[in-house]
Amino acid sequence: MPELSMILAGLGDAFSLQTLAFVLFGVITGQFVGAVPGIGPVMAMAIAIPFTFGFDALAGIGFLVGVNKGGLVGGAIPAVLLNTPGTPDAAATALDGYPLARQGKPLKATKMALFASVTGDTFSDIVLITVSAPLAVLALRMGPVEVLGLMMLAFAVIAGLMGSSLSKGFIAAALGLLCAMVGTDPEHATPRLFFGQYELYDGLPLPAVAIGMLAIAELLNRLARSGGVRAAVTMPERQSAADKRVSWAEYWACRYTIARGALIGTVLGALPGIGSTAAAFMSYASARQASRDPGSFGKGSLHGIAAAESANSSVMGANMIPLLTLGIPGNVSAALIISAFMIHGVQPGPFLFEQQGRLIYGLFGAMIVANAMNLLVGQIGLRLWVRVVSAPESFIFSTALLMCFVGVYLASGGIFGIGVMLAFAVLAFVMNAFGFSVVVFIIAFFLGPRLEISLSQTLALLDGHPLRLLDYPFGLALMALAGATGIYLARRRQFDAPE
Amino acid sequence: MNANRLSGLVFVGFGLLLFTVVIPWQVETVAYGWLKPRTLPRILAVFMVICGAVLAIWPPADRAGRDIRWARAALFAALLVVALALMSRLGFVLVAPVMALAIMLLAGERRPLWLILGAGGMPALIWLVVARLLERPLP
Repeated sequence: MPELSMILAGLGDAFSLQTLAFVLFGVITGQFVGAVPGIGPVMAMAIAIPFTFGFDALAGIGFLVGVNKGGLVGGAIPAVLLNTPGTPDAAATALDGYPLARQGKPLKATKMALFASVTGDTFSDIVLITVSAPLAVLALRMGPVEVLGLMMLAFAVIAGLMGSSLSKGFIAAALGLLCAMVGTDPEHATPRLFFGQYELYDGLPLPAVAIGMLAIAELLNRLARSGGVRAAVTMPERQSAADKRVSWAEYWACRYTIARGALIGTVLGALPGIGSTAAAFMSYASARQASRDPGSFGKGSLHGIAAAESANSSVMGANMIPLLTLGIPGNVSAALIISAFMIHGVQPGPFLFEQQGRLIYGLFGAMIVANAMNLLVGQIGLRLWVRVVSAPESFIFSTALLMCFVGVYLASGGIFGIGVMLAFAVLAFVMNAFGFSVVVFIIAFFLGPRLEISLSQTLALLDGHPLRLLDYPFGLALMALAGATGIYLARRRQFDAPE
Repeated sequence: MNANRLSGLVFVGFGLLLFTVVIPWQVETVAYGWLKPRTLPRILAVFMVICGAVLAIWPPADRAGRDIRWARAALFAALLVVALALMSRLGFVLVAPVMALAIMLLAGERRPLWLILGAGGMPALIWLVVARLLERPLP
């Protein structure tokens, strides 16, 4: 278990002026980009990662955490004002936020979203801080067989839950793993699938692949659909003071809804593959079911907004649990944070608490600070973001593309990296168009080398005797669970229900 | 034939191509060890053939391949490739404003203020921050 001095040193780092400044900058950036439909925190994180290269590790990762948390709050603004969620997570927020805005109370709706979001996020961060260190101790006891079983389980869950069918999920995972095989074979150090391109000896650069697939592909998609100029956001001229704020009584009346949403988001967030969008809708449905006045939902209910926002924001802290304890990213934001860890020479996984304990407790401190800043910046900035989101898409998208070019150039050290980024952007565009999950691809791409190493070590341990697997009951149970999960998900989807 | 069946068949073909041509050509043979360099790529190739076949035989009821403006997306993608080729020869400072202007015009923007901000202001700001303040190289 971590020593108290290390925990205090880490928390001290989180409160250094530099870290506070970067977290604040991240929160402001996140709220701003979250408010712009089509950009969102994931794309902002993807673009920002290479720029954190020059920062101190905690400042860089704290900045990205700030972007992610701020983006979840910012995403509610277009959902409420335009009925166009800035992020998919905010789709459930629009169900009640937009009707409330139409009733002339857009600020009340966005403020309830802010308060519920910060409450849910803080709850899940506390759970993360409490459970991750003991879980990492357990994870350290796992050998290659158990790690292999765990990865198989993660693949079964992620591939099964994302994308429009199980077979498409598995194909996306196989493609991601195949791309992870490019470069040098980890066991024999022989070159593999590099087609004479010596830049690929170390494998495909993760920042170029992630930015191409997450940012450029989405920008291409939006540009292909865009008319360049969206309708400007308009605020009602006259609003009473009561309509501009959320009173303590209104917030307190939603306490059970927020608590339930935070719990749902935290539990779902800790499981790989279940995103915040699912958590938000599940919490919304649960709040409606528990409500004494279910008829008010969908007509501007504060409970509806609180349910959706508390759940989608509480996923953020919880999905760091598998990332920090096992090195398995539960969703795309976690996969991007892993990229940032790797850029700073930090390998996520159970050894993280042992080797980089100070950084991790600094990160925990930065997460709590980011929640407080989210509240503060949101209180001041909501009115401002409402004005800023009226900038035309053409301007925002062309700027984002330029930043992707520069960011990948900086991260991968050359024009070749930008070429890789564009190639993977085209691949992701086609994958998205045909319903293959890009998120599954990226998670598989990241986990590929570890999967191959643990498979190689497992085969060496078994030494040609499969029955020796019985000596590893926990690993065997995880493999069986992976198989059972795959079968369950396949049956649930009726094995790609025919057209 | 619908898009899902077609994509399933594409992956069957891709998996076979990997197994029979690409992997033998691009992965060296090693005689020792339990997990040889070719083992996992081959497993993945077979897996792709199986999943592709499943997709072709039992396609899901989704809207794969529809509602996509392929020509317009290809136009923007081609623009980015040309910009990359030019950037590798002429550099970011000369190419970025032209690239941003072309993207904004193709996206339908015609207002001079936004065009000036996008094609002039933002590349200049990026240059200032990256090359001058952070002292990092630009393409």
